[in-house]
Amino acid sequence: MDTLPAPFRLNPGLMIWTLVVFGILAVVLWKSLYPTILKATIDREARIKKDLDDAERLRAESAAALEEQRQLLASARGEATAIIAEARQAAERERSAAVEKTRQEQEDLLHRARREIEAERERAVADIRREAVDIAIAAAGKVVGARLDAAADRKIVEEYIGSIGTGARG
Amino acid sequence: MMQGQEVDIAEMIFHHTGDSHELEFEPFGTIHLPAWQPVHIGSLSIDLSPTKYVVFAILAALIVYTMLKVAAVGIERARRAGKAPGGYAGAMEAFVIWVREEVAIENIGHEMGPRYAPLIMSFFFFILICNLLGLLPWGGSPTGNLAVTAALALIAFVAIEVGGMLKLGFKGYMGTIFPHIDGLPPVGARIMSIGLAPIEVMSKLVKPFALTVRLFGNMTAGHFVILALFGIVFLFGHLGVFSYGIGIVTVLVVVGVMLLELLVAVLQAYVFALLTAVFIGLMQHEH
Repeated sequence: MDTLPAPFRLNPGLMIWTLVVFGILAVVLWKSLYPTILKATIDREARIKKDLDDAERLRAESAAALEEQRQLLASARGEATAIIAEARQAAERERSAAVEKTRQEQEDLLHRARREIEAERERAVADIRREAVDIAIAAAGKVVGARLDAAADRKIVEEYIGSIGTGARG
Repeated sequence: MMQGQEVDIAEMIFHHTGDSHELEFEPFGTIHLPAWQPVHIGSLSIDLSPTKYVVFAILAALIVYTMLKVAAVGIERARRAGKAPGGYAGAMEAFVIWVREEVAIENIGHEMGPRYAPLIMSFFFFILICNLLGLLPWGGSPTGNLAVTAALALIAFVAIEVGGMLKLGFKGYMGTIFPHIDGLPPVGARIMSIGLAPIEVMSKLVKPFALTVRLFGNMTAGHFVILALFGIVFLFGHLGVFSYGIGIVTVLVVVGVMLLELLVAVLQAYVFALLTAVFIGLMQHEH
């Protein structure tokens, strides 16, 4: 070492001195001066970090709230759809019940009308037949009173009666 | 020595850039520093007597402390008054914040950066003042001595490696010595990994070595240039009237080199702090 020019000699004593001097300086600055000088910066950093954390927390909260709203909306929409469908079904049921009832009533009305018409017809036929018989008897009486023995007249009455019989049957 | 006609310029240069046990304040006199008995540790004999550079290192530390103390007092007073610090205190605050943000945190990362920042800031300011002390009359740059730069680089080395060990854990740290090799069968990867270990260890040691030599070289080279230029004055001192012309030109050139040295003093303090931060950052992000 001592053969080297002065600047290139490595003196271990000087190394130790440097370590001690720089070590003391670094520790003193670290403990006492940097915190004072950097207080504003470090406080600001802490504040920014806190703000960022707050913003992140608020974002998460609002996202959760939004999600909740969305679910609520979706469930409300589902509920509304179900209610509408149910109402529609109920209306349909009501309508078809009403239609059925009306049809039933019409049918009943028709039946009754038919029955009444039938009864009227039967009664009318019976009346006609009775009238016919009465007319026939009256006619017969007239014919019988005048010329009952004539074979030709007899034939006319028989034919007449016969025609009434077929008419009553027709 | 300097009065003689024949001047050994090399001797003068080495004398001025080397360490010594006295502080020279020519022509006012010389202070002799106490010589202590060397301390023996085993076969090692360490001379702990204070030398010129010890005195200047302590002086640099006191200057750094005073600079920052005055700034801290000003900042504290401004804060009490509810104002932003102005003048010197404001400038120093901005300077310290710049080193912290742009040199330390920028390169180490936002997580660990603030924890290493005090060390990086101390490196910067201590080295800066040490560098500048060499430009003063009768002054000397402790950073122009290998022992001083080696000691500083040793601290950087410990910060890099111990920091890496704390961050990565023992297993992760061993991964920086025995690198993980992908794309090989396990046995091959193991062999490659062990084979690469010496290179990895070498690369760890090269970093502080480079820090040591870079700072020492830059500081010493500047002083060599200045002293060599002054040597011209003594070499041509016997040329009568011409020597005045040579003297004036030389002094102008030396002033130019001194200004350059001023720049180099700041630049090298920055480079040392920056590289230490970069190396710590690289280690922190090693996987």
